[in-house]
Amino acid sequence: MTSNDLAILTNNRQEVFQYAVIAGVQEVADQRGFSVTVAEIPQPLDDIARLPLKPQAFAGILAISNVLPAEMLETLSRTGMPLTLVSHCTGSSLPSITHDNQQGMALLMEHLVTVCERSKLAFICGDSKQNDGLQREAAFRQEAMRYALDIPESHFLPGDFEPNKAANSLKAFLATSPDIDGIVSADYLMGIAALEILSRTGHTVPADVAVVGFGDGPEADEAGLTTVAADVVELGRRAARQLIGQLGGLSIRGQTLLSTQLVRRQSTG
Amino acid sequence: MKAQQESAAPKVNMNIQKATHEQLKRHNRQLVLRAVYGGLANSRAALAQATGLAKPTVSSLIGDLLEEGLLTERGRGPSTGSGGKRPRLLEFMPAARQVIGISINQARASGVLSNLAGEISARHSLHLSAGENDPANIADIGIVQDVVNGLIAQLDAPLLCIGVGVPGTVDTSSGIVRQSRQLGWSNLPLATQLTARYEIPVYVGNSTELCALAQFAFGTNGESAPRNLVTVLVDHGVEVGVTLEGGSYHSGGDISNLHLLAAGSRPNHQRLDSLFNWEAIRSRVQELREVYPGSSLPDCDLSFMHIRYCATKGDSAALELCDELSARLAMVISWVIGLLQPETISLAGPIADLGEAFLERVAEETAQLLAPVALSASFSLAYSPNLGALGAVALVLQKELAIL
Repeated sequence: MTSNDLAILTNNRQEVFQYAVIAGVQEVADQRGFSVTVAEIPQPLDDIARLPLKPQAFAGILAISNVLPAEMLETLSRTGMPLTLVSHCTGSSLPSITHDNQQGMALLMEHLVTVCERSKLAFICGDSKQNDGLQREAAFRQEAMRYALDIPESHFLPGDFEPNKAANSLKAFLATSPDIDGIVSADYLMGIAALEILSRTGHTVPADVAVVGFGDGPEADEAGLTTVAADVVELGRRAARQLIGQLGGLSIRGQTLLSTQLVRRQSTG
Repeated sequence: MKAQQESAAPKVNMNIQKATHEQLKRHNRQLVLRAVYGGLANSRAALAQATGLAKPTVSSLIGDLLEEGLLTERGRGPSTGSGGKRPRLLEFMPAARQVIGISINQARASGVLSNLAGEISARHSLHLSAGENDPANIADIGIVQDVVNGLIAQLDAPLLCIGVGVPGTVDTSSGIVRQSRQLGWSNLPLATQLTARYEIPVYVGNSTELCALAQFAFGTNGESAPRNLVTVLVDHGVEVGVTLEGGSYHSGGDISNLHLLAAGSRPNHQRLDSLFNWEAIRSRVQELREVYPGSSLPDCDLSFMHIRYCATKGDSAALELCDELSARLAMVISWVIGLLQPETISLAGPIADLGEAFLERVAEETAQLLAPVALSASFSLAYSPNLGALGAVALVLQKELAIL
């Protein structure tokens, strides 16, 4: 390993989110003359000695989502190892980067409630063990209060960022004939799954139910899903920039939040 | 007679200095940029007419600005009546440079990375830990640098300038923080220190002034910008920022130390910051929950948004709290209006999450206090969590490019 080698720690390099982040990191690393080693970390990891790589062999480390416990990250940081956390929730001031989940959810809700005039909403949740899942649900609840919307707990549907799980949750929910006119999905792939289920169960989108999702990709465009664009490959690129900036001598603490933009499509009219 | 006239001649201050060539060029460059940015003129001939500058001067300045990428040529306009060549049209390029705006208070330092149109591509924030937020410990500017560095790592275009908003009294011309009670800074040459570190211009202002400037520069929640605006920022203290005719009025208005007479059977004076700080509000919520046991106000994770939501649903504890807060704010604002007669009063800080119904209440109570003098000021809420940092961006655009 050379001093130009960056390590990426992840719990599953093939999952959609992690895969896209890694692609973005790799792109910037290639441009700037760094090599990248991806290490999958067995979960849960209770001893830093069990890491499948030697941190000191690397110039810097990127940790994706909650791959390592907070204490271990702090230990690594104290060794002087440049570290960047991607969509990670530690409550500390370690350098991290994520999409601005609060801003994105505010855009989605403003569009759905004030423009599309929807008020009877359901929310398809992300993975509550992941930073993005937690933040998007919290932001949705906050925005619901802003518009004085009463959203029963039964309208919070498990999804875990898995389209099949989201589809099954929604199908079961719709079978109870709930009074809803809008669905907010914590990511766009679950949102696309929601569109399919609504179509199969005879609901017209957006006339009966408007649907919005967080994050964007070509599939969202094809499906006609209104989203807030939160490019995950770009997240990876900027995470690499943050880490490489530290290697260049920038002292960074705190969290970088990347802005999102509303992309209006047919699912909201 | 002539001798008497000579002895009666007024004394002239001979310290007036002739503008240097560089200063003149900078001034003229700003004239041209402002004209294009503001849509006043978009061709060389029109710019010469709009600015009063000679055509060769305008052409030379535009050449420089095209080379720097701040302007671009975009097609041709219609020819003039005399049948001359169709002029090449010029367009301002906000993506040509980026600006960092930082706002710091006792709890956090936050910053935005923006293009020259105020469009934010990234934010960076650092929450200060329990030990860090002690004024005795915010002694150095490392906290500001950590946030600046976080944004420098995300630059997509050359960095033009850095703007910083701080609570307290700031000498904007020198960038010296004269006194910041919240941060424990006194006579800190913040602009000089940051300029030495980053080798680019740095501008510093009072954060509440900058909140007002942000609203002037970028509008208030999508509406057109008022030229005379007072912002009352309620966060860790109570501060007043004034923008008159699009410029900051003075160097900081921290009124947290002022006392308010609280009405009651035994009137007592209380400092504004002790009435409006979050610990005081949380403590009052606890008291009201005991008075109204059926209240839906949460025990933990309380926020202004919760208070707003519960008040909307008719929760008695939330309504009583909103009544108390609106009455106190009205007392502060009535003095501000009486003294400054602004067009608009805007309420900023986390308290803005209490929403429009709360603001209407504040306006009603203020009107009662000011009667029989008619209330002419309009009220607005400044929701954005980035307002201070955006204001720092506006300060940079005003000082460096004069396009605001």
